[in-house]
Parts: sequence; structure tokens; C-alpha cells
Amino acid sequence: MIELNGISKRFGQHPVLRSFSMMVGRGEIVGLLGPNGSGKTTSIRLINGVIQPDEGSITVAGYDPIHDGEAIRRLSGILTESAGFYTGMTGLENLRFYAELYGVTDRSRPLELLAEFGLTDAKDKKVGTYSTGMKKRLGLAKALLHRPEILFLDEPTNGLDPEGIRMVLDYILKLNKRDRTTMILCSHLLQQLEAVCHRYVFIQDGQVIEQGTHAELEAKYAREAVLRVRTADGETEYILPGRQAVPGFLRELTQQTDVYGASLVNHDLESLYFKIREVARHE
Amino acid sequence: MNKQAMWAIAKKDMAAIRTNVQVWLPMIIVPLLLGVFLPSLFTGLLAFAGIGGSDLQELITWKDRLPLGALGPVLDAMPTLNHQIAFLFTNYMLAPFFVLIPLMTASVISADSFAGEKERGTLETLLFTPVDLRSLFAGKLLASFIPSVGMTLGTFALCTISVNAFGWRLFGRIFFPQWNWLPMMLLVIPTIAIAAILVNVFISAKVATFQAAYQLGALMVLPFILLFVGQISGALMLGTVSLLIIAAVLAVVDIVLLQLLMKKLNRSSLFESQVR
Repeated sequence: MIELNGISKRFGQHPVLRSFSMMVGRGEIVGLLGPNGSGKTTSIRLINGVIQPDEGSITVAGYDPIHDGEAIRRLSGILTESAGFYTGMTGLENLRFYAELYGVTDRSRPLELLAEFGLTDAKDKKVGTYSTGMKKRLGLAKALLHRPEILFLDEPTNGLDPEGIRMVLDYILKLNKRDRTTMILCSHLLQQLEAVCHRYVFIQDGQVIEQGTHAELEAKYAREAVLRVRTADGETEYILPGRQAVPGFLRELTQQTDVYGASLVNHDLESLYFKIREVARHE
Repeated sequence: MNKQAMWAIAKKDMAAIRTNVQVWLPMIIVPLLLGVFLPSLFTGLLAFAGIGGSDLQELITWKDRLPLGALGPVLDAMPTLNHQIAFLFTNYMLAPFFVLIPLMTASVISADSFAGEKERGTLETLLFTPVDLRSLFAGKLLASFIPSVGMTLGTFALCTISVNAFGWRLFGRIFFPQWNWLPMMLLVIPTIAIAAILVNVFISAKVATFQAAYQLGALMVLPFILLFVGQISGALMLGTVSLLIIAAVLAVVDIVLLQLLMKKLNRSSLFESQVR
């Protein structure tokens, strides 16, 4: 669905992306991970034809963003970090404006989305009075106005309360399951990404340093399993040869003492993220 | 061209002007002052107070220096100097004011066109929509053109009513406007407004802030405006043909400016211009 090959992009003298290559299949949810300024947002801008690469090629659903940017943007919905609303207009007016720009003919669509994201009561209030969370939910509604095939979500849960986060993550999964919407998510909240992404692309200094599914990354970067066990004596960490050794070890341990809880501490996305960055630094 | 998107952008921008009193109030006050209050006051003074003897000689000399052409016999047929001056001032000397009104209004609105979107952080969201740049520019152009030319025509209508009302005592008939105002208002004013808007939209797309766009726009457009404003009364006196020629030249200038604008600007450069 989306393919970037050897992309380089500079802003003035500053290189933002270098030989950047990645692929996203139809219906996949891919998490773009990297520190601030690593090139995540720039890659989204390039894919949508908002800016042009200095080198390399991009195809999105068979289209080239340089020549067919409008066709790509018609397929894509985007939530940028600053949602880009007109603060002097109401939530409904903003959605109606963008609905016209996206050629949405269904007049009830903005109202339907406002209801879906719990903003019906605030629809006639100016966006300037919205909280960060409300703006984020309105941004998601805007991104979905034209029922896009591809969604780009930059920090989709930033500023949301726990209920809002749950709602957004559930919606992402529901949308992907129902419509097979392809999604690229950028977030620093790795635990949340872990709940929805099929695959991850790790970026550092404008380069892809690793990509793969959780299982693939685990096999490569977390061969040992660090198991944290909670017993009556407190918490203890055990290093095992791999996750396959965990059930046997726990069976044995429960025969010796009461086990109240156990978790793998080096297999979550956050641990993998730091491990991958550390390996990349040494290379 | 995506007409739906173009009108959506134009309507959104015009609504933003309408709902902000700090923007539209100065835009209305200046035209009313220049285009309605001043000419009405002047006509009223001539009609009700007349001109003192000490000023006569100076005014006669001033009138003699004008390129009156066919207008000479018309003025000579009028019974008093007050008639002549009221007729000359309203029908000819008012022209620069009516050129200035759309230029001032259009400059403010068009300087905000893209720079305002950048300052509000909404330009990137606009650039992510499937709207082509041509439609985006056309929407911005309309959002400046409709209020500025509309306000000029509205001011002109009020001026016509007011000046004729105040001058009724002198003339006893409708003496303003003469026919040469027709090409002036319907051709010259719109074409010069478009030229100013195109220059300002281009600058607004290139710079990061409204303030920079407005100041740079004024700097680049002002010398030409002053040159044009100074000549427009003379063009009115020379008659309809000269106004049609001016409008045709301005239309060519507009087309060239539009081509240049479309050639020089693209999505990428517009995006990168946000960086301050």
C-alpha cells in the first residue's frame, strides 16, 4: 500500500531523512517510533505529497505523491499534532468546512462523527474554548470525514484522559477490523502503540534502524527473558534463556513458594525500543 | 478547478472578517469617510454656503490647468462657479478615493490570506487536504476580491445618493455619476483590485507572518498605487476609451501576475515558508 525507497530530504543544510526505506501493507497498523526530530512527521508529509523528497521514490496505492498528491490525499486522513482548527469557528463549522474540502456529500457525516467522539454537546461551541482532549477527538473526527483508506495519526492520544485514550484505541482497532483501514501511528506512548500496532518501524536521525513485528523484534533483541516475580518475600528478577522457559520455571517456583504475580520485563515495546536504539548507537 | 473547495475557502475567510469587528470596522470607516462623508460635505458647502470671492481666482486658475477636453463646454454652460466645482469635484476628483478604497481593503485581507493561516497553524492542515493549489489560491483571491470590490461599489452607491441629495439645491437633478464612471467602477476598479490582491497573496504565501506580508505588500504596491491614483482623474476626463484601455492593460497585468504566481508557488514551497 505504501512504499518508500531510499528517501532523502533536507531542510536547508539540515538533513532530515537519509536513505529512508519502509513498507506498509494494506490493512496494517504500523507504529513509527523515534525520538523528537527523528523524521517521523517529515515522512508523513512526504507520503502525502505536501513536501517533495530530494532523492528516492514513494508510491502510495500505486500513486506517486509528486504527481498524484491529490489522489493520495483523497485516500488519506490525517491527524497532525496541532490539529489545525479555526478557533473562531465552532466544532461543527470546522468539520463542515473540511467536509467540503474533502468533497464529502453526506451532510449528516460531521454530526455523526461528533456523536461518535462524544462532542455533540460541544458542537456549537467555538473550538478556541475546547480542551486539548476535545480538540484531539475533533481532529480524529476530521481525519475520518471522508472515510479514508489510509490514516496517519500523529500522537492520537496526547492530551486525552484515560477514558478518551481507551475510546480512541478501541476505535482504531474497530476501524481497522471493519474497514481494513491502513494506519501509520506516531506516538511516544509505547504501551498504547503496543495495544494496537501490527508492526513497528524504528527511526533515528532520519534513518530506519529497525522494523518488524513484536515477535520478530523479540526474537532478535530479547533472547533472554527477564522475569520479575512477586512473592511473599518481595520482588525478584530471574534471567531465563528465553520466554519458552518461563512456564516450566513458574511451575517449579509455585511448588516452592506462593507466587502473587510474574511479568516479563524486557519483552515489552519500551524495553525493545531502548535495546534497539542502544544497538544502533554501537553500530 | 475544485469549485466546491474554492467557495468553501472563500466563504470561510469572509466569515472570519464578518465575525471580527476589529477587522471590518476600520474597513468600513475609511471608505465611508473618503467616499461618502467628504464628497457630501464638499457638495453641501458649495450648495448651501457657496465659495467666497477671495478663493475664486485661485480656483479658476486650477480649473484652467485641467485637461478638460469635451468637458469644457459642459462646465461653461453651468450658471455659477459653484456648479462647475461641485460637478468637477464629484465627477472627476473623487476618482482617486474610489481607487484607494478597494486597494486598502484588498491589501489587508490578502496580506492575511496565507500568512494568517501560518500564524494560526492551519496551513499545514489545508495542505494535507486534496484541494489543488489553483483552487486554494482562487478561494483566497475571491475572499479578498468580493469584500473589497463589494465595499467599493456599496460606498459608491451611498456616495451617489448622498452627493445628489446635497447637490440637489444647486442642480435640481441627478448630476453624479457621469457615464464614464461605468467603465471605471465595473472594469478599472476590479482589475486594479485583482492586481493588488495577486501581489499581496504572493507575498503572503512567501513570508511567515501577517505583519511581514502587510508591510512588504505596502512597500511593493504603494508606489504603483500612488502613480495610478494621481493619473486616474485625468483618465476620467479623457473619457471612456482611455478607461477601457487602462482596464485592458490592467487585465493583461493580472493575467501575467496570475501566471507568475502559479509558476512560482507549489505546495512544498508554501509549506516550507511556514518556518520563521
